[in-house]
Amino acid sequence: MRYFLLIFIFISLAFSVVEFSTEQRLQMPYRKEGLSEREAAEHLLSRLSFGGRPGEAEKLLSMGLEKWVQQQLGQSLPGTEVEKRLSDFDALSLDNETIVNRYLNAGQVLRMMQKNGTLSRDSMAKLEKADYRKDVLKLMQQQGLKPPQELNRQLFAQKLIRAVYSENQLQELMTDFWFNHFNVSVTKGQSQPFVLTYERDAIRPHTLGKFESLLKATAQHPAMLFYLDNASSGSDNNQMNQRIKKMAPANSKLKRAAGLNENYAREVMELHTLGVDGGYVQADVTEVARALTGWTVRPMMKDGYGGRLSKLQQSRLGKNMATTEGDFLFLAVRHDQGEKTVLGKKYTSNGGLNEGLEVLHQLASHPSTARFICKKIATRFVSDTPSVALVTAMAAVFTQSGGDIKQTMIAMLNSREFWKKEVLRSKIKSPFELVVSAIRATNADLRNTNQLNDWCARMGQKIYSYAAPTGFPDKASFWVNTGSLLNRMNFGLAIGAQRIPGVAVNLLALNNNHEPESIEDALKTYSAILLPGRNQTENINRLTNLVRDESLQSRLDKALASTQSASTTQEDMTGGADMMGDVMARSKGKGKGEGKKIPAMEAAVSGQVAHVVGIIIGSPEFQRK
Amino acid sequence: MANRRAFMKSGAMAVFATGLGGIPSFIAAAAGERKIIPPYKKAKTLVCIFQRGAMDGLMAVTPYADPNLKLLRPGLYMSPAQTEGKLFDLDGKFGLHPSLGSLSTYFTEGRMAVVHGVGSPNKTRSHFDAQDYMESGTPNSKSTASGWLNRAVGLTGHDATPFSAVSLTAALPRAMQGDHDALAINNLEEFMIQMKGNPLAGNMAANSFEQLYDQTSNQLLKQSGKESFEAMQMLDLKLVKNYTPVSGAIYPNSPLGKSLKQIAMLVKMNIGMEVAFAESGGWDTHFNQGTTNGSFARNLKDFSDSIAAFWKDMEGYQDDVTVMTMTEFGRTVHQNGTGGTDHGRASCLFVLGNDVRGGKVYHKMGALDKASLEDNRDLPVTTDFRSVFGAVAKKHLNVVDTAKLFPGYEGDMLYL
Repeated sequence: MRYFLLIFIFISLAFSVVEFSTEQRLQMPYRKEGLSEREAAEHLLSRLSFGGRPGEAEKLLSMGLEKWVQQQLGQSLPGTEVEKRLSDFDALSLDNETIVNRYLNAGQVLRMMQKNGTLSRDSMAKLEKADYRKDVLKLMQQQGLKPPQELNRQLFAQKLIRAVYSENQLQELMTDFWFNHFNVSVTKGQSQPFVLTYERDAIRPHTLGKFESLLKATAQHPAMLFYLDNASSGSDNNQMNQRIKKMAPANSKLKRAAGLNENYAREVMELHTLGVDGGYVQADVTEVARALTGWTVRPMMKDGYGGRLSKLQQSRLGKNMATTEGDFLFLAVRHDQGEKTVLGKKYTSNGGLNEGLEVLHQLASHPSTARFICKKIATRFVSDTPSVALVTAMAAVFTQSGGDIKQTMIAMLNSREFWKKEVLRSKIKSPFELVVSAIRATNADLRNTNQLNDWCARMGQKIYSYAAPTGFPDKASFWVNTGSLLNRMNFGLAIGAQRIPGVAVNLLALNNNHEPESIEDALKTYSAILLPGRNQTENINRLTNLVRDESLQSRLDKALASTQSASTTQEDMTGGADMMGDVMARSKGKGKGEGKKIPAMEAAVSGQVAHVVGIIIGSPEFQRK
Repeated sequence: MANRRAFMKSGAMAVFATGLGGIPSFIAAAAGERKIIPPYKKAKTLVCIFQRGAMDGLMAVTPYADPNLKLLRPGLYMSPAQTEGKLFDLDGKFGLHPSLGSLSTYFTEGRMAVVHGVGSPNKTRSHFDAQDYMESGTPNSKSTASGWLNRAVGLTGHDATPFSAVSLTAALPRAMQGDHDALAINNLEEFMIQMKGNPLAGNMAANSFEQLYDQTSNQLLKQSGKESFEAMQMLDLKLVKNYTPVSGAIYPNSPLGKSLKQIAMLVKMNIGMEVAFAESGGWDTHFNQGTTNGSFARNLKDFSDSIAAFWKDMEGYQDDVTVMTMTEFGRTVHQNGTGGTDHGRASCLFVLGNDVRGGKVYHKMGALDKASLEDNRDLPVTTDFRSVFGAVAKKHLNVVDTAKLFPGYEGDMLYL
């Protein structure tokens, strides 16, 4: 055993030596751009994480920026908190087959009921929806079936929980980035059951690995095969297929002509690899589509034809007809056996499964791909308009390293452009980033994520639901417009006032349970906590006058209202029972130095703090990263 | 974005701080004080209703005279001759489903046209893909970033207001995504800075936000912030809160009814809305579709009554409004084994407006015998949806360049 281990270590060392040749040293030339170490730390937190937690910049400074970046690139910090919070989510570790047989929509359940005789066709025609709905629910309970919405709920929730609590922040950002690059959507019914495993198995393991691995994993995953229709693409230009057709009875389904579907072939070049100006023409689209014919999904429904297929595969003929790799299925009988030419490169006939893999390799290694991918990474992490020089420098590393994403990221961090003053805070947070950064900045406790999904949608980003294969556009003008901006402000106010069910914020705890002395104090204190490292003097001065009026007014209101009913007033002011509980408990327990305050007064102060925090989170400065 | 804003030249921001004490909402002070007159004459408001899920066009407007129909869907066939729940005969060939009763008058008056056999040249029978193609307006290209209604707003040839394109949905539909500003508002009452239960605080917050956004160094945030606050001012929330439709306009209490009611408010506010979008769901009738009664009939009645209420409510504004419906595809001619219909190809749509050449079913429909159907099962697409959408955009929105509206489309336009 020990020898094996030694040999293993030796081999891995040997490999790492080989890799070192393309590996670059992390340099981060922030000083050359006139940034202090603290400014650099804030910049790193705003770009390589979903925003810092209170005091996190200090942590970076004490451990050293380089070490922090290396940790982020390493992606192996312990995930204790995330695991704890995800322990109740039973869908996250399921495989595709279990998922498709467990999460069924109403139509699928009805068909099942008809099949097993629980519901006859006659009675169905007579029954009203409400009547059979009861039976459907009963059957679902008996058989442990769940609606697809439950799968989506867990999918949405895990993204938020990981983004907020994961120590490996860069990994979460990269997962978000690559998912969006290779977008699939729960809005397409056929892909919906597979989106969860798509992110987990096709995206997440490769986020800082080789680009080609990502490309292959996404190309062969059921979510993508269904989303861009390659699963249904086939060809009759196949000897085996022609023989079968001849033998099949006249009205058999096997007689139907197989059709070429170019959707995936087009998008894999336009959106995933070369880019729209990457130098391909329509003929290449058709050729790539032909090369990928027969790439489809293994049947997994219990009552489907999966049984027949696995029997078939045991026979020799079957082995020639179909190859599975996980849930990916290569149906040789549907593959176009002819010659092909992709971007000038010839592929001889009878290339089979390998042909498609070679085409993906060709696309992944193309110089247009290096430029296209690097521009997209730079747009995400540096600015909406990265310079040609930066993209070229990154693309060179991308190509030399065989499409190594980690090396490409290091090249980006080593560029001076990443640290330029005009780049700092020049990007606008997406709604999802805004929500996550607000939760992180306020150290909020996320108990239920449903409402936050609604907020993201209202601000223009319904996660996992972008219908087009382009993914969400990564530019400020897409996120900032009249309607969404008001919702961003309202989101700030809502989270400050504890009006988002499932999100517990303790604003006083953020300030070590120290109550601000005055409204100016509150503004100063919470600006420093929520927007660290920024000069807020001007904003604070401007706001002080406005907010001070409010404090006066609300105190008056308070005084009026408290003569009627103290308890209802408190709820009105803070809106959150949790915080009220905290306030009450403290006023009972500790007893403040400056004499006993009545609860209504404390509530008023909390109300002000809530208001101040709401304004800060809704402010333009908090929208930037 | 910035250069397209005509209405902002007034400059003076009579903000929200006026008359604070006691007033329940800053809106009260702001509402109605400033009338913004756009420096151009807009053509019309085009109200688009997307029936998601694929409406069975053959049941909504039935070619009852074709004997094949009764053979292929015996359990779903209806005619003007039946005693109970009979069709409203349109022209001896087509009959309107009884649930569309509230719209039949408009057909008789010649204000509503039906187009039958409409669909996409792309043969997909996937809801997702077909909706995507119909909304992008490019049936053979998935990667078109913008929607056709968004492009339409940009092609009207004049400046926009924040309310030029409004979707009464939670998220912006694909049809309205793109370079031009478009708003998605589920509920007009929520178009404000708000603190539930504490309007005063909301008022104050609005004031603070306005100042902060005015001072930010980020031009995009500054500009959009300004537009947002102007838009809030333009929106007459007093009218929203106390809205009373024209007497006799009774909106169903359904998502579509609510959306159309709010569209009516926006039209009456005269704030430059040119494209409005609403959705209606529940058309995917694989199971238990029903005939005179049942899920389809109920849904169709809601659809019909919502539009009829809206049109009634538009009295005095009807000359400025055109309504057009759309659905991603139709359903199989034959009924399936579960009392419903499966995904098909062509369906029908409705266009309503005072200058629509209505009272007619526009179609090129042939016989419905199996051999004449597309893939032996579906009503073939004989009218490209772009020929209707393009003609409506041209005539009712003054969009001249339909080549930009529907890139790649070279077919005819069907003027109604």
